[in-house]
Parts: sequence; structure tokens; C-alpha cells
Amino acid sequence: MKKFICLALVCFSFIQAEEVLFEQDPTLLVSHFSIVIKTGSQDDSRDKVGLANLMSELVLRGTKTKSRTQFQTELEKIGATLAVHTSQDLVIFGGKVIKENTLEFLKLFQEALISPALSKTEFLNLKREISAEVSHLKNSNNRLGGIAARREVFAGSSLETTVVGRLKTLSNVTLEDVKTAYQTRFHRANIIFAVATSLPEATLKPELNKIWLGFPEGKASVRKEVQPQVPEAPKLVIIHKAKTSTGAMVIAQAGITAQDPYRYELTAANFAFGSEPLVSRLFRIIRGELGWTYAIGTTYNATGALSYQPGMFIISATPSVEFSAKTLFKSMSLWDEYLEKGLEKDELILAQDSLVNSYPFEFDSPEKRLAQKLNSLINDVPTLSPEDYEKTIRKISNSSIKKALNERHKKTSMIIALVADKDIVEKQLAEEQKDIPEAKRLKIAKVITPEQVIE
Amino acid sequence: MKKNLCFLLLISCTAASFADYQKVKEQTLPSSDKLTEYRLENGLQVLLIPRHQAKVVTYQTWFRVGSLHEKLDPKLKKTGLAHLFEHMMFRGTPDHPDGQFDALSARMGADKQNATTYFYRTNYFQSVPIRKLEDIMELESDRMKNLNLVAPILEKEKGAVVGERRRHDDNPMSIAWDNLLELVFEKSPYRYTVLGSENEIKGFTVEEAQYFYKTFYAPNNCTLIVIGDFENEKLMGLIEKFYGKMKSQVIPAVTIPGESEQKKERRREVAHSQATSELLLMAYPIPKVADADVVPLNLLSAHLSTGNEARLHKTLVDKGIAVSASADLSSSPDLFELSASLTEKHRAEDALRVIDKEIESAKSTKISPTQFQRALNQELLSLYTHISDNQSLGSLLGEYLTVDGNYLRGFEIIEEYKKISAADLQRVAKKYLKKEKRSVVIIRPAKKEKKS
Repeated sequence: MKKFICLALVCFSFIQAEEVLFEQDPTLLVSHFSIVIKTGSQDDSRDKVGLANLMSELVLRGTKTKSRTQFQTELEKIGATLAVHTSQDLVIFGGKVIKENTLEFLKLFQEALISPALSKTEFLNLKREISAEVSHLKNSNNRLGGIAARREVFAGSSLETTVVGRLKTLSNVTLEDVKTAYQTRFHRANIIFAVATSLPEATLKPELNKIWLGFPEGKASVRKEVQPQVPEAPKLVIIHKAKTSTGAMVIAQAGITAQDPYRYELTAANFAFGSEPLVSRLFRIIRGELGWTYAIGTTYNATGALSYQPGMFIISATPSVEFSAKTLFKSMSLWDEYLEKGLEKDELILAQDSLVNSYPFEFDSPEKRLAQKLNSLINDVPTLSPEDYEKTIRKISNSSIKKALNERHKKTSMIIALVADKDIVEKQLAEEQKDIPEAKRLKIAKVITPEQVIE
Repeated sequence: MKKNLCFLLLISCTAASFADYQKVKEQTLPSSDKLTEYRLENGLQVLLIPRHQAKVVTYQTWFRVGSLHEKLDPKLKKTGLAHLFEHMMFRGTPDHPDGQFDALSARMGADKQNATTYFYRTNYFQSVPIRKLEDIMELESDRMKNLNLVAPILEKEKGAVVGERRRHDDNPMSIAWDNLLELVFEKSPYRYTVLGSENEIKGFTVEEAQYFYKTFYAPNNCTLIVIGDFENEKLMGLIEKFYGKMKSQVIPAVTIPGESEQKKERRREVAHSQATSELLLMAYPIPKVADADVVPLNLLSAHLSTGNEARLHKTLVDKGIAVSASADLSSSPDLFELSASLTEKHRAEDALRVIDKEIESAKSTKISPTQFQRALNQELLSLYTHISDNQSLGSLLGEYLTVDGNYLRGFEIIEEYKKISAADLQRVAKKYLKKEKRSVVIIRPAKKEKKS
């Protein structure tokens, strides 16, 4: 594995081989930088989820010598942006700048990361802003459904809450928590640099080295893994929203890791079953033939990009309110059939052709090539050459797909979150299940409000 | 005119003998890419940009028809067909029956394949590996001339579009936008949503769809934009082969009715059942995109809205009044728009007061050299980021082309930034951002409305 990384990467000699990824392209008008810190919401305590996100956002709000306004004005004046994205296991600071001002930008980037102000005023402002954004999630039926499902699948762990936190967990976070997290989580053993630029690497080395040396030494974080918990029988949670003409349906199961040995089989299978809009089985039948929903799809990335932490697999749809229960039951029956029989021959060929032919788009820009290298390094998975990728995909058969599905999924083990009017859903459930014995009917396990999802 | 014929005969014996093309213009873009414009004899316009960094190609088809045209067409006089038709374009031809377009393009590995409809244009786009270029051209040209317009498929697709319309209705910001356009425009078809009403969608007939197709999906109403790993002459041979035999049509000219002069502010408040906090949306009429004043107006919007140091971010988001706030220019309809999505504790009027103060400041004081430089470089960063991606570059060219006829206008605006000063921003703020000319829409959560 290490051999592959060294061959694939141009490494700077001043830092350990794995820690700088470099992609030079003379056509780039903009230089792109990512500094990845291997920490995330998974390292937050359950009652303070949102800390990692809050901390990383606060790092960009002023330095020890520049107020937030001064810093941001200097940055934006040179044609640059700097932002941060926090996931369950990574904090990624991403910056870009018009190429002429690359070195000037790196000086600012260094100052932000090494000498953040972490001021009380900015902390309070930021907390208020994030809380307002969390409150706004009530406007999105899809997000509400996804969050409600996640709460069940990862109940009892910090992953039950999205990376930004809930109103209560956010209110628990103090400035002291933020300062402690910054001191303990940001260190050399946790950091990776990634650069895509038109400039030669020798020009950037000294500035990157300064950033690197500015961090303290440390020990690599211990990887935490939380196993998703899904009941054996379907559990239906209604998020009650009156007067909505379209709702949201989320059927959730345990997902997979980036290293899952069945990942290629499941990618091909999922492509044909639900992930590819317009041609997937779910889309063709439930939207194309029945017209019950505008959108329907599946993903293994419901809690973010695949990583060491097992994720969540979901089937999601936005059915018109009159078709909520119909869409649910049809999705469940198609799911059963899929687990039992796998794919039709045509579906498998379509998925294989599409995955092989679209593989060049994973590498069609310097930023994407860099992202591939980063993923390979972080998750210790190889980036396959087009030839190897084609061989891997072509050797997938329906029997290998059925085996993978059988190993990773169960027919009835699922959490269902439905954003809809509860009275309407109740009537629909009764109607759709009138021929089924009472004991075997799908029942509403609980009804919650949108406020309860985010509070 | 005949320059490339011999070469074309080598690669495409059938095509070159039936049609011809001419090279209209060559340009070098800021990214150093070479853009060449061609035109086929039947009027089809072609913009080609070879890029050899990856073995992929972006293929975009732009029709100069949108909801404006159908509303103003004496045989239609309705809105929604242009969009419904966009859906129908994926529903098959005699050679490739319903479902095959999606399946075949998926098998080719088509990336980011989609289509959109707006007031003035409809576009279809995807990227494919370069070895599949000819295959996607065959599919795209086939649906441009041989579409299967039959009642059962049309009826089925109406269901999907009605679903889209309902999602639109559930979205408070979409409804705010609909109301704003209805308020700004009393006569022109901009006041009708591109999606059409549910009744209009359900009422369209096959005959209307056929009329629309024949009239507006003609080569002389279309532009192909292709960006990627190809050589121009070889690709033009293929374009002749697939599109050269299509017949040009008489495209009905549309005249958008003028609006009477607005003498006082227009304001509307709407209660929305799905809104959980208030929204503010407002617009001031501005000139068309070709006008020189659009350049400082663009930079003024960047000053107000681009980046964390933008004035609206500082005064609305940082102060906890709004979750987000923006200022932007739209073309066709030509408006300077401002919006704010309020936090739950604040009213739209709070945001309006802040925005008014910022606008008055822009009128009374020249922005500082630092602020000017900030706005300018943020615009440059945005453009450079945009044009490095094939699909985004194609969209930039296509939008300006279909709204204005000048596909290079986006680049010209950036060049013209260098000739203006802070005084120009102040001048256009005074000239266009007048209270009596604006329209304001406020969306309030339905429950709050009842209480008050």
C-alpha cells in the first residue's frame, strides 16, 4: 500500500512522505490548497456534538494580530477565499487564490491556522449563527428525514447528531472546550497538505514548511468506530408536517466503510438499483412508470464520504403527499426483490459500462486528481488505474452482487423516517395494509415534530 | 466556405457532400483556450474549444426558446410547455424508444447530464469520455429531429412535472420569486413562472407539443457548445454529418411588451405554510446586459454580496439578523435583486432597514480603494474558477449567447472592470437603486400571520 502512495505522489522532502500531495498543472489560473486535519465530530462528546465544526470555523475568524475583519479583508482583497468543511472524521481547510497572489495567500493561511484568535466575541457570534442555521433545517423535508433516521441508526453515540450539532449540544459547547480541542487535535501527526497549482513546487516549499513547523508535534489520533444499530423489524418514525404537498421518505440501513471488500460490487449494484438518476430501477418504476415522486434515489454516503467509520445507506424520495405510503411500500417491495435476486443482466451491463466509461471524470481536473490522492491516502485504499478499474468492474457478476448484498443488508432491518402529515399517513397506511393481518402491519413507532428533530 | 471540405471528405464522406459550414470567428480566452465559432448552412451555430488536459468532452445544446416565447406565441399563449417539452426530449425517438436515451447515455458514462429551461432558453448538456463523442452526437441530433410525441408518454411526463411544480410551491423562496416577478412585471411574460400552472401543465396537447417542436427546435434556433479533447476540423465533419441535413425554420419573432413607468414602490406580503422564518426579496429594474452600466452594477453586487466581508454579510448575517443575504444581477428579466433569509427572531422589515442603509451609503459615499479591489479580485477569482471547468465554461458562454447574442460578454465585463472606478459604482447606485422603482416581497410563516 505504501509503495503505491509513493509512486503516485510527488512528495516534499521536508515533510514525511504521506503528508503533502501535490498536483501541478500549468493551465490553472487559480491555486487550490487543502489542509486536512484528522479529527471531526466523531471526537466530540455526545452532549457537545458540533464542537469540531465550531472550532474549525472559529479558527478562520481572526488571528492574534488581526481582527476578523482585517484578516478577511486582506484575504478577499488578493482574490482568495478560505473556508472549512468538517465531517465526522476530518476537518478540511480549503483555500483558493488567483495564481498571481499564491504566496501572499499562504502567509495568511499560515497565520490563520497557527495563530487563531479564538476570541470570545467571535465564538458567541458563531454559535448564534450556527444555531440559526440548525433552526433553518426545518425548512428542508429531506434534511429532516435524514437527520431523524440518523438519530435512530447511531443512537447513543456522537454520530447520532449531524456534524453541526443540535441546538442543545451547541449550547453546551464553551470557549474553553474550543481552545482545548484546538490544542489537542491540531498537530503534525494529524495533518495532510494537498496542493493543486500552476506554480512549481520549489516555489511553495518554504511557505508550506512554515505552516507545518508551526504546528506542535503530537500522536496520531486513535480511530474510533461506531457500529450502526438498526432494529430487526422496520421502525417507522413520522416527522409531522401539516399542509405539505410533497413530503420526504428516508429508509435507512447500516452502510459500509471505504475499505469494504464488497465496495465495488455494492457500487455497481447500487448504481442500477437506485443511485443513478433516470436509469436506476427505483427511478424507472416509481417515478417513470408510476409518477408518485419527483425524486428518488439511494446512497451509501448519507453521513458523508466513505471512511473507516461505517456509514448509513438510505433510499430517499420526495413523494407527492397522496402517494407517501404507496411510495414507501413500493420501495420496500423493490428492496426485497433486489436483495433476493440482485440485478437483471441488462442492469448489470449498464452499470458496468457506465462506471467504466465515466471513470475518466474522476481525474479530469487537477482538483479531482488531488481529491483522489487524498482519499487514497486517508482511507488507505488504492486509486485504480483505468485498466485495473475496468478489470475490477467487469469481473462483477450477479452472484457476487447477491453475495455482497446478503453480507451487508437485511430485508426488514430498517429505520423509516417519513416527513408528512401524520393524519394523512395513518389513513394511507390503513388503506394500503387492509389485506394484511393486524399483527404484520407496519405501524407508526413514534411521531415527532420538526422542532424535536433539531432541538 | 470550402476551406475544410477536402479534409471532411476523408472523415465523413456522406456528410460533407450535403452540407457546408463556415468559420465565423476565432478568439483566445483569458484561460488561453482558443474558441472558434462556426455556422452550418442551415443556420446551426457551433462554438468549439479544444482542451486536451483530459480525455473527456462536454457537449451542450442550447435552444433560444423558453417560457417567454410560448407565452407570446399566438398559437400557444401559455406557459409551461417549454419546460414540459424539455422533459419530453428524454422520452424517445423511433430509433431510440422511451427509456433508451437515458440508458444509452448512462452506458457511455455521461457525466452531469441534465437539461434546464428558463425564460429565454432551454439547454441540454452532458460530458462523455472522448471515445463516446460520436455516440452522444448521434443521440443528441436524433432527438432534435425525430422526437416521439405521443399522448401516453406526454401524459406520464405531465405527472412528473406536476410533482416538480408542487415541490416548487412548497418552497418559500420559489414562491417569493414568483410573487416578485408578478409584482415587477404587469405586462410581460416574466410575470408567469417558467414551470406553468398545474392546470396549464395538465392541459397541453400533443398537437401543441408538435407545433412547439417543429417551430423552435430548429437548427437556426440552436447553438452547440463543445469543449474537450478533440480537433476542430474533425469535429466539424461530425457535426455536418449529424446536423447538416436538418432544415432551418422560420422562427417567430417575439416582442416583449414594455412596462409602464413605475412611480412608487410596490410591496406584497405572502403567508406560506412551509416557511419557518421570514424571507425578504426585492428587485430594481436595470438595463440589459449589453449596457455599459451593467459593469459597475455587477461590481456593486459583488461589493454587497460576495465574500464574508461583503456588506450584506457583515450587516445582516454577522449581526444575527439573517441566515443568508445576497445581491445579484439577473438578465432577462433585467433586475438588481436583493434577498435575505431571516433568522427566526427577526422580521423582514429589520433586514429591509439594513439593506436600505447600505444602499444609501453606496449612493452617498464612494467605496474605499480596498473595498473596490476586494470586489474586483473576488469577481476575478469567481470567473477563473468557473472557466477551468468545461461544463461551467460552456454554461457561461451559453447564457450570455442566448440572453444577449454575445457569448463573450462575460469576459468583456471582467475586462471593463479595469476601466471603472468607485465613482462609477456610486453613480449606478444613484441611477438605478431608487425606492420608487423597486418591488418588495415578504414571505411570512403562515401561523405567525394568523397571530398578528
